[in-house]
Amino acid sequence: MNKKMFFVLALILTVSVSSLSQTGSKKKRPLPYEFGQVVINNYSDKADMDPVVFQHWIHRSMFTCRVCHVDVGLGMKAGATGIKAIDNERGYYCGACHNGKMVVNGKTVFRACSSKASFEDQKRCDRCHSLNKKVASDFDFFKFSAPLPKERFGNGIDWEKSEELGFISPSKYLDPASTMNKSLALQKDFSLSPKVEGMPDIIFSHKKHTIWNGCELCHPDIFMGVKKGNAKYTMVDISEGKSCGACHVSVAFPLTDCQRCHSKPVQP
Amino acid sequence: MSKLRFIAILLSLGLAVQFGVCANGASTAAAAQAAPAQQSWQKEFDDVCSKTQDAMTFSQQELTALIQRCDALAGRTQKLDDTQKKVYQGRLRMCRGLYAYVLESKKNEKK
Repeated sequence: MNKKMFFVLALILTVSVSSLSQTGSKKKRPLPYEFGQVVINNYSDKADMDPVVFQHWIHRSMFTCRVCHVDVGLGMKAGATGIKAIDNERGYYCGACHNGKMVVNGKTVFRACSSKASFEDQKRCDRCHSLNKKVASDFDFFKFSAPLPKERFGNGIDWEKSEELGFISPSKYLDPASTMNKSLALQKDFSLSPKVEGMPDIIFSHKKHTIWNGCELCHPDIFMGVKKGNAKYTMVDISEGKSCGACHVSVAFPLTDCQRCHSKPVQP
Repeated sequence: MSKLRFIAILLSLGLAVQFGVCANGASTAAAAQAAPAQQSWQKEFDDVCSKTQDAMTFSQQELTALIQRCDALAGRTQKLDDTQKKVYQGRLRMCRGLYAYVLESKKNEKK
C-alpha cells in the first residue's frame, strides 16, 4: 500500500514537473492599474536614483498618443528615447508638461528634474523615480476608473467609449511642442481576412487610430508595407510586439480581447 | 615709480573693462543673431511637419518637395544643443518617413 502510494506520488510529481518544463512559468497578467506601466532606467541607476515608473493610464486620459509619441518625441519602447534629467530640465520630454508651470484641472503639474535638487526636493524626485516605492500620487486609479465604461482586459476601462461619452477628452495639442495640424482627411476602414477558418474578419478602423495617433506614429516605423495586402501579420509576431502589438500588447486593449479586432461576423 | 605702476594698472584695468564690454556686446549680438536663426529653423520645421495629416492628399511632386525640405532641415539640426538635436532629429525622421512612405505607396498605386 505504501509502495503504491509512493508510485502514485512519484508519477504525479513527474507529470507536473515535465508539464512545467514544457510551458515554462506563466507570465503574470498585470493588474488593471499596472497595465501600461513602463519602467525607464537609462541613467537612473548610474545617478544613484531609483528607476522611473511611468503610468500610461493617467497620461492617456489627458493627451492623445500622438502628443507624446510624435510632438514631444517620446519613443514607443521603454528606454528607446534615452531621456536625461537635463532634457527634462530644458523643457523637453517629461519636462514638456512637468515644468512646475503647466496647470491641469486647476493643479500645477510638478516639475520633473532639476540639477540643483535639494534634500527637500527628494519627495518630488520620488514621484517618478519610484520603482518598488510606495509614493503618494494626486491620482487614485480606482477613484479615476470608477465612473468610466468598463472593459474586461487591460486597465479594465473602455477608453474609446470613455471619450465618446465625454468622461475623458484627451488633448490633441500641447504648446509649444505641437505643430498645428489640420483636421485629417480620413482614410477608409478596411477589413483583413484571418488565416483561421471561422474566425471573424478584422475590421481596422483608420478613424479610431488616426485621431489618437496621427499618421507618422504608425507609418512607416510600425507598418512599413506600402502595397495593400502584401504584408502578412501573424498572432505570434503581434504578441511579440510587432505591428498591432506595438500598442495592443502593453497599452491599448490587449490581444486577449479578440472580438475588439475580429469584429466582422462570419458570413454563413 | 609708484605713479608709473598706478598708471599701468589703471591702463590695464581700462583695457580689460573695454575688452569685456566688447566681448559681452559680441556675445549679445551673437545671441541676438542666433535667436532669429533658431526661430526661422523652428518655423520651417513647424511648417513642413504640420502637413503630415494631409500627406495622402499631396501629389508626388508635392511629397518630393516636402522630403527635400526635410533633408535640408536635417543639416540645420546639427547645430542644435544635444537635447534639441535628439528631439527634433527624431521628429524630423518620422515626418520625412511618412512623406517617403506615402510617396512610395502612390508610386505603387500607379504601377
